[in-house]
Amino acid sequence: MNIIIVGNGKVGYTLAEYLSRQNHDVTIVDKDKNALTRATETLDVLCVRGNGGNVRSLIEAGAEKADVIIAVTANDELNMVCCLAAKQLGTRYSIARIRDPEYTESLTLLQEKLDIDQVINPERAAAQEISRLLRFPFAMNIESFAHGRVEMVEFLVTDQDDITGEPLSRLHARFPHVQFVAVQRHGEAVIPDGSFVIQMGDRLYVSGEHVAVTRFFKRMAKDTQPIRSAMLIGGGHISYYLAKQLVLLGLRIKLVEINREKCRHLSETLEDVIMICGDGTDREVLTDENMEENDALICLTDRDEENIVTGLYGVRMGVRKVVVKVNRLNTPEVLDELGLDNIVSPKISTANAILRSVRALSHSSSSRIQKVYGMLGGKAEAYEFTALAGSGFLNVPLARLKIKKGVLVCVLVRGRRVIIPFGGDHIEAGDTVILAGKAGSIEDLDDAFTGVEEST
Amino acid sequence: MNRRLIFNLTGAVLLVESAMMMISFVLSLALHSGDHWPILLSAGITLAFGGGFRLIHPATDYLRARDGFAVVALTWVLVSIFGALPFFLSGVTPNFFDAVFEAASGFTTTGATIFIDVESVPKGLLFWRSFTHWAGGMGVLVLSLAIMPRMGSRTIHLMRAESTGPSAEKLVPRMGNTARILYRIYLVLSVIMFFVLLACGLNWFDAIVHTFGAAGTGGFSNYADSVGHFSAPVQTLIGVFCMIFGVNFAMYYALIRRDFKAIWKNGEWKLYFAIILVATGLIALNIFPQCGRNLSQAIRLAYFQVSSIITTTGYATANFDLWPQLSRVILVLLMLIGSCAGSTAGGLKVTRVEILTKNMLRDIRRTVRPRSVNLIKLDGRTVEEETVSGVMGFFYAYMFVILLSAVLVSIDSFVRDVSFESCLTAVVATVSNIGPGLGEVGPMGSFAHFTNFSKAVLTLDMLVGRLELFPLLMLFSPDAWKK
Repeated sequence: MNIIIVGNGKVGYTLAEYLSRQNHDVTIVDKDKNALTRATETLDVLCVRGNGGNVRSLIEAGAEKADVIIAVTANDELNMVCCLAAKQLGTRYSIARIRDPEYTESLTLLQEKLDIDQVINPERAAAQEISRLLRFPFAMNIESFAHGRVEMVEFLVTDQDDITGEPLSRLHARFPHVQFVAVQRHGEAVIPDGSFVIQMGDRLYVSGEHVAVTRFFKRMAKDTQPIRSAMLIGGGHISYYLAKQLVLLGLRIKLVEINREKCRHLSETLEDVIMICGDGTDREVLTDENMEENDALICLTDRDEENIVTGLYGVRMGVRKVVVKVNRLNTPEVLDELGLDNIVSPKISTANAILRSVRALSHSSSSRIQKVYGMLGGKAEAYEFTALAGSGFLNVPLARLKIKKGVLVCVLVRGRRVIIPFGGDHIEAGDTVILAGKAGSIEDLDDAFTGVEEST
Repeated sequence: MNRRLIFNLTGAVLLVESAMMMISFVLSLALHSGDHWPILLSAGITLAFGGGFRLIHPATDYLRARDGFAVVALTWVLVSIFGALPFFLSGVTPNFFDAVFEAASGFTTTGATIFIDVESVPKGLLFWRSFTHWAGGMGVLVLSLAIMPRMGSRTIHLMRAESTGPSAEKLVPRMGNTARILYRIYLVLSVIMFFVLLACGLNWFDAIVHTFGAAGTGGFSNYADSVGHFSAPVQTLIGVFCMIFGVNFAMYYALIRRDFKAIWKNGEWKLYFAIILVATGLIALNIFPQCGRNLSQAIRLAYFQVSSIITTTGYATANFDLWPQLSRVILVLLMLIGSCAGSTAGGLKVTRVEILTKNMLRDIRRTVRPRSVNLIKLDGRTVEEETVSGVMGFFYAYMFVILLSAVLVSIDSFVRDVSFESCLTAVVATVSNIGPGLGEVGPMGSFAHFTNFSKAVLTLDMLVGRLELFPLLMLFSPDAWKK
C-alpha cells in the first residue's frame, strides 16, 4: 500500500520503520530537515520536506493516489487539517492522532465533519491498556478478541506454577479450556507444539474465555483478587482518562499531583477521586498517604526517571501491581530485570494501534482479517479472522488440514460458543478464527491453510 | 567498516557481470568471431570470485554511509579488473594495463580506447566492450539493485554514491523499485534507438554497438572513423539520441506519469538545451568557411559534435581537432560542463554549473549590498547552503584531480614527446568520461602511446570521474579503514 506519514517524531519514525519493513511504500512528510535526513539514511522510504497541511507538499508526497495517511505531528489541529486535505485529494483512509481532551468530547462531530476515519488518542489508549492490566494483577499483558469473548493473558511462569516439566499435550488434558499460544524464552518467541515443555522464567500467553482463563489462574493459585484501590502519581492526560475509567469500575483512587493549579482543575472535572497535592516522588508524601496499602501504584509523571524510581520503591514496599509509564526507553528488558514488568509507553502503544489498523486495512480486501495483535514485543502476532463460506478448509478436521509451519489455531468462536480446538474439531463458515504465528508469517487464511491431506 | 557486507554486496555485482559475459559469449559463438573461449573463461573466473564473495555472510546488514561509498568504489575497481579479462585472455591486448584501461573506459562510459586498429578486433570483444558502456551508464550497482531481491533498507547509500549529480533522489519510496523504474526507462529508450537505427539500414551489430555507445553516453564504435562511417541522417539521429540520454531520467518518469508541471518547473534541461543551441550556433559559424561555405553541413557537423561532447559520449563525425581555435575551446568547455544530473553522462553536470554561477553572482551582489539577504534558488526552491558549499567543494576537487593528473601524465615527457594540449585534454577527457580529447588523443587518435604509469593514472581518473570523486577518493583516506 502507499502510506503517507506526516510527522517524523518517535511515533512517525517507528511507524515508518515497521511499515517499510512490511513492504509498504512509505512517504514521510516533515518540516524538520534533520529528522528527514535520519529517515532517508536509515529507512527505505521517500521523504518530502514541507508542511503536512500544505496541499502542495501532500501532492508531492502522492496523496492523490495514497491508500492511507497517518498524521502524527505534535499538533492536533495540524493533524486534522492534514487528514482533511489528503482525503479531499483522494487518499482512501485517514488516521489522525488527537490528544487534547478538549477535542475528545466533540470527537464524533469532528471526525464526521473532517472525514477522519480513525482517531488515535495515545493517552486514552494508554489509560485503557493500564485499566486492562489491573484486571489480572499478575498479568504482564491482556488483550481481548472476538468482541471481548476471548481473552489473551501474558504472564511470567514462576517456580510455584505446576505447569512446568510437562509436555503441552498432557497439560491440554488437564486444562482443556485454555490454549497455550506463545512463549518467550531467552528473548526468542516460540509458537509451542504438543511436545513443548514449559520452564520457569518463560513468558507465556494463555487464551480462552474470560471465565476459563480466570479458573485456570485460580487453579494455579495465582493472585486473582481484583484490584480495589489504586494510587496514581502525576496528573497528566493519562491520569485523567484512567481515573475516570477506574472510578466507573468501582475502584478507590488517590491521585497525587505536584502542581496546585492542575490539582484544582482535576478535582473540578473528576468525581469521587481523592486529590492530593504533593510531590509523588517524596517518600514522606507516599508514606502519609499509605502507598503500600493500595493494591496498585501507577506512575504517570512526565519524567521517565521519576516513574522508574517511584515504581521500584513501590515494588520494594510490596504493592501488588506496579505500572510505570516510560516514554523514551529503547531497552525494556533492563526494567524487566529490575522487577518492573508492567511498562506502558503511550508512543509505542500509539504506533502499535496504528500498525494494527493498517495491517487490517491491507488485508481487508481478501480475507477479512479483523484484528492483529502483537505479542512478545512484536516478535509474534495473533490474528483474528472470519471464515468465509466457500473456503477450502471448512468442515475438515484440523488434524487433516495442512497448516503452515509455526502457525497455531488458537481459538474458534462459533456463535456464543468458544472452542479450544483439537485435531478432531473443524472450522465452519462464519466462525471467528484466532491464529498465532511469528510476526508477519500470515498474510490471510488461505496462506495459513495450504491444503487438505487425503484421508488414508 | 562492515567489511563482510561490503564483499557480499560486491559479489552480487560480480555475479551480474559474469552473466553479462555469458551473453557476450553466446553472441560470440553465434558470430563465429573466434573469441568465445577467452570470454567463457573470464565469465567462469568472475563467477567464481562473485560466488565466493557472496558466500561471505555479514553479521548484520547495517550499511553505513561510508560502507556504501566503499562498496561502490571497490565494486567499480573490481568490475574494471574482471572486465579486462576477456581482452587480456584473448591476447588482443597482451599488456594488462591496456586491458584494464579499456574495460574501465567501457564501464565508466568514457570510450577512450587503446586499440589503434579497432576494426581488426574480434566482434565478441567489441560487443563486450560496448555492453560495458550500457551497464556502466546507469550504474552496475543500480543494475544489481534492480535485479537482485532485497539488498537491505540502507541501499540509498549505494545509489547516492553511484548516481550522477549533487543530490540523488529516489523516484518512489522503495529503492529496489526506483532502480527498476530507472532501468526500465533506460531499456525502453535503448530498444527504441536500436530499432530506429535498424530502420535506417544499419546491420544489427552496428545498430547494437552504437545503441550501447549512445545510451551509456560512452562512445565506443566498431569503426575507425566512428559515426562518420554512416550517412548524414544516421549521424544526426545518433546525435539526437545522445542528447536524449543526457537528460535527467526523472524527467522521463514524470513524462510517464503525465506530470507535465514537474517537467516544466525543472530548469536544468532547459539550460542544457540552451547550451547545446548556443554552442552549436557558435561552432557552426566558426567552421562555416572550412565546410566549403555549406551552411547545412556546418550546422550538422557542429550539432553532432556538441551533442556528442556535452553528453560526454565522444563519438565523432569529423576530426574536430582540425577545427579553428574557438570551436576547440568551446568543445573543451563542454567537456567540463557535461549533461544533466541523473543521466548517464559525466562531467560537472549542468545543475552544478548553474549553482556555481548563481553563487558567483550572489557574491558580486553581496559586495554591492552587504546587508542584502540572498538565497540561491533552483526550480523555485531554495538550495540549502550545505548543498552550495558541497558543490563548491566538488568543483575544487574536480579541478584538483584534473591538474594533479595532468602533472602526473606529463611525466611521460621524459620518455617520449607529448604536447601540452594532449596531456591536459587526455585528463579532462577521462575524468569527464568523454573519450577523445585534442592532439594526440583527438577523435582519430588513441591512448595507446602513453606509458603504463600514465595509463594507470588515466584509468583511475575515469573511475574517479564516473563516481563523482568522493567514493573513490575516500578509499585513500586512512580514517575510512579504521574500525
